[in-house]
Amino acid sequence: MRVPGAQHFLTAIARWGLLATADRALLARLQLPDAGHGYDPFGLCRDGVSRGLWLTHFAYHAYFRVTGHGHQHVPRTGAALLAANHSGTLPFDALMIWADVVRGVERVPRPLADAFVPGLPFVWSWFARAGAISGARGNVERMLATGELALVFPEGVPGIGKPFSERYRLRSFRVGHAELAIEHGVPVIPVAVIGAEEQLPLVTKLPRIGRLLGLPYLPVPAVPLPLPVHYHLYYGAPIDLRAEFGPDADDPAIAQRAAARVQSAVASLIERGLSERRGVFQ
Amino acid sequence: MSPARRSALITGATTPLGVHVCAALLARGFQQVLCVGSDETTSALPRSPAARYLHVDLTRARSAHDLLFGPVRELGIEIVIHLAAHRSVHRRVEARRLDVEALRTLLTLAERHPTIQRLVVRSHADVYQQKGDLPTVIAEDHPLDLSPTAPAWRHERVEADVLATMRMGLSRLEIAVLRCAEIFAADVGSQLWDYVNAPLCLVPLGYDPLLNLLSLEDAATALAQAAQAMGSIGAFNIPGADTLPLRRCIALCGRRAVPVPGPLLGPAYRLRRLIGGSDFSYALNADRFHNAMVLDGRRARAELGYLPEHPLTWPQPMRPAT
Repeated sequence: MRVPGAQHFLTAIARWGLLATADRALLARLQLPDAGHGYDPFGLCRDGVSRGLWLTHFAYHAYFRVTGHGHQHVPRTGAALLAANHSGTLPFDALMIWADVVRGVERVPRPLADAFVPGLPFVWSWFARAGAISGARGNVERMLATGELALVFPEGVPGIGKPFSERYRLRSFRVGHAELAIEHGVPVIPVAVIGAEEQLPLVTKLPRIGRLLGLPYLPVPAVPLPLPVHYHLYYGAPIDLRAEFGPDADDPAIAQRAAARVQSAVASLIERGLSERRGVFQ
Repeated sequence: MSPARRSALITGATTPLGVHVCAALLARGFQQVLCVGSDETTSALPRSPAARYLHVDLTRARSAHDLLFGPVRELGIEIVIHLAAHRSVHRRVEARRLDVEALRTLLTLAERHPTIQRLVVRSHADVYQQKGDLPTVIAEDHPLDLSPTAPAWRHERVEADVLATMRMGLSRLEIAVLRCAEIFAADVGSQLWDYVNAPLCLVPLGYDPLLNLLSLEDAATALAQAAQAMGSIGAFNIPGADTLPLRRCIALCGRRAVPVPGPLLGPAYRLRRLIGGSDFSYALNADRFHNAMVLDGRRARAELGYLPEHPLTWPQPMRPAT
């Protein structure tokens, strides 16, 4: 007799009908790559997407009440980079963008995780089956070469770990995504996440304990659970960095300017989102 | 190379891979296939007037010399396919003699050989480093595992790989090194095969990495295509057609995966080896039991025309559980 693990249990639940009807139909329509046995070379599989849809259903529809603006800017096919601001102590923003793009665009975005994430037990297996990839440059290049939609947070860990008092102030964008977008000639779609900055105010960070757990630090939030903030996701018009800055991705000055261009586009979307929202929970 | 002159030497020919490669070369119309191995029995080798078997101990430099400057020269053999490798990870002295020293001898002799033009060396995906912060899909420029903490068996595989690749461009020989994904079959030295032969397979709690497995048919096809691809030199990744998570592989073999905290796996498998005589070494596999690794075969596809087309037959017929 087989002893089902938690992963198999959740997959079985998702497969056996708790998945919302709309999500079930959506899952059937999704085109997923298959390198054999239903898995792509990074571990994405239909069961993993199904599990992701099931797990994010409540948070997406009821708890964070995610509203997406500008889905028409996200390409339905072909390689592209979604570049978003990162915040909220824990990466619920990545989960909500993933859930919104799958539901709103009918593509599975491939979130790029920081180097420490693949070392995390349980979490990484689930993330990878739903489409996450380790953010090593080789992986991203492969993603773009095969026409995938990558989701990148150019602020990195400093973005998600910024204090509440600095909410919606972007940390400097790293340049890797801009270099790759120029090199591969793929559009960058700026994404602003409004709401996540208030979901879980950070009190302090415990780096020593975090390092024992394989994390950069252990975050200590002010509240035990994320607050039910209203998420607004704004997708901006695609930016063709190669057309704007030329094809020389190796020029550090060009890469810096291209990354700054993306940062400025995300900042504009944040400004727009903040001006349009009526309150943190509304 | 004209078709009429196609001739090859296969070392390690009595292994299951050697047998498949011999058959693949004969099917491609090779006129002379000289098979050498350390076994006395040759019953598995294809019966053909074009194939000939010699019992040669390649760990002895004199035997290797006499082979190359005797029958190989007489037959005018142009291509050497080097498959000879030790299958046990626990017999280190013998493994080093065959995996590293025999290859060194072969390279030295082949470079001044009058007829040998091309050397195809079978290497392994194990030579690559596997870490969470490195790419999951591995191209040929991925870092090799040269870390001082790597097991000696892996050091030797890396050394053999480097030994061959460092001669590229310096030697008149055309050298192709094929870094093959793990061939999942009996008697080929597959660690994973040995692992799933136990009724219970202990897996690290919280991890289910992706594996890529190669069938004997695809491995033989890749080696035969590399032998024929005159002019193509360099290292080539040879992925298989089966990409699946470790636990799915265990389930397809009809075994049961038992999650165990990582630090207990090493002692548990050392105990299994002591009691059951298994060849599986957790130390060798710890990295890939935590990190996914899939070979990127684009270079082999572009230059050798290799595409994995023979998935494994599941469920795999395992040996009776001991």
